[in-house]
Amino acid sequence: MPARLISLFAPLAVGVLFLLLWQGICYIWHIPPYLMPAPSDIAHSLFSNINPLCHALYSTLTVTLAALLVSVVFGVLVAFVLVQHPLIERSLMPYVVLMQVTPVVALAPLIIILVKTTLLALIVCATLIAIFPIISNTLQGLKSVDPGLAAFFKMHKASRLKTLLRLQIPSALPMFMAGLQISSGLALVGAVVAEFVAGTGGNSAGLAYEILQAGFQMDIPRMFAALFMITLTGLALYMATSSIRKLVLYNRIQH
Amino acid sequence: MQETVISIQSAEKTFPNGVQGLAPITLDIFPKERISLIGPSGCGKSTLLKLIANLHQPSEGSLSWWNKDFSEVGKENHRLSFVFQEPTLMPWSTVRKNVRLPLDLEGIAPAVSEPRVQEALKVVGLEHAAERFPAQLSGGMKMRVSIARALVTRPNLLLMDEPFGALDELTRNRLDEDMANLCGKDDLTLLFVTHSLYEAAFLSTRVMVMAAHPGRIFAEYEIDPAIPRDEAFRLSDTFAMICQDLSKLLIEASHSSLVAKVA
Repeated sequence: MPARLISLFAPLAVGVLFLLLWQGICYIWHIPPYLMPAPSDIAHSLFSNINPLCHALYSTLTVTLAALLVSVVFGVLVAFVLVQHPLIERSLMPYVVLMQVTPVVALAPLIIILVKTTLLALIVCATLIAIFPIISNTLQGLKSVDPGLAAFFKMHKASRLKTLLRLQIPSALPMFMAGLQISSGLALVGAVVAEFVAGTGGNSAGLAYEILQAGFQMDIPRMFAALFMITLTGLALYMATSSIRKLVLYNRIQH
Repeated sequence: MQETVISIQSAEKTFPNGVQGLAPITLDIFPKERISLIGPSGCGKSTLLKLIANLHQPSEGSLSWWNKDFSEVGKENHRLSFVFQEPTLMPWSTVRKNVRLPLDLEGIAPAVSEPRVQEALKVVGLEHAAERFPAQLSGGMKMRVSIARALVTRPNLLLMDEPFGALDELTRNRLDEDMANLCGKDDLTLLFVTHSLYEAAFLSTRVMVMAAHPGRIFAEYEIDPAIPRDEAFRLSDTFAMICQDLSKLLIEASHSSLVAKVA
């Protein structure tokens, strides 16, 4: 069997085995669904609640993608500003780190109170979690220019703008793409965290709110179904950004 | 007085950590000369080359390019190109775009630069690889692209910092022959840093043997520029004798470096 097929089917086989084992344990020991639902219970709940779950997924995905977009735009802009001078980086970087190390879950209630529109508040929370890898990776990428090429540009008296556009930005692309991959997952985490906080405050939105509601109603299979959709979304985001990364960096890899 | 391409007047280099990279050096380089810098590691060969490329500034002393300031470099008949130790290509661009880079940086329109790119690629024998990316090239081919990028500006002075050091012997010999042919055809002055005295003997009309602690010119060795640089020269007694002489000078320079270090 070709190596590519093996690498595709091996994790699938592990997953199927895990589900069978889980189903078997629930069946043999008669574990009630409110304690630990079997995969079949979760699947049943998923299909019977597909409309509200898909609606919730749409909401979570909107927040996630909007936060990712805002993170990319602002993260790259901040990195461009920081790279202009070591003094600017030294002056501002501690605040960027401060933003990263402050738990957003603690800030979220405040943000939700301050920002009146729920959707906007959720995007702000998710952005605060997702933006750091973009800033950090883009900054490192902009600084990790091949010294030989930098000397070449200097020798040819290239302007600052030409050096940024033709050397620094393309050099930073691999690290930016790695940052994007990390941020896509974090944007989802941020969206779910923000939805939890908003949900406990009574603002309904997204899959996290579905989990909260299912918990209140002791509908554990539905809770797992919502969790399954979050996991699947995270996986899809990771695969999408991974594909974009491969596509963008295709020519730099030895084929 | 003969016009100099480079005139170095008591230029020395001390690094910010206090290490003296180069003791005061005075050196004149004349048009069409092919000069090699050889010497033990840490003797300041690359530092001297970077001073000439204006990538480093001298701590003391001065340099002039065609008897002028560096701001004049780049104008007609005063062009300088640099080939680095590594190919230093842009991995995101094709061979063609890599070679065109210095012309793009000068703001020359593609319609004007394209024939020159084609010409430079032809010189290094890479017309067929113009649309390939660096990741698709061998080490020798990458170095040829780097040379084509240096030649595309039609330089009057070509600085090369041990460009073939990472290549195998056969590829290196072939590229040395290409360089010798190129210098023979064009009005080109070559300054070449190398660890290989065979390469220095093959390519140069003047070899500067350097010593370390601090970096300085230890000896100069002249080679008749009229000798054709081809395979026959490489196998000749003259070549063997030059290599022997250079080897002796290199041993003396190394010994002098060690003595200076101990002192």
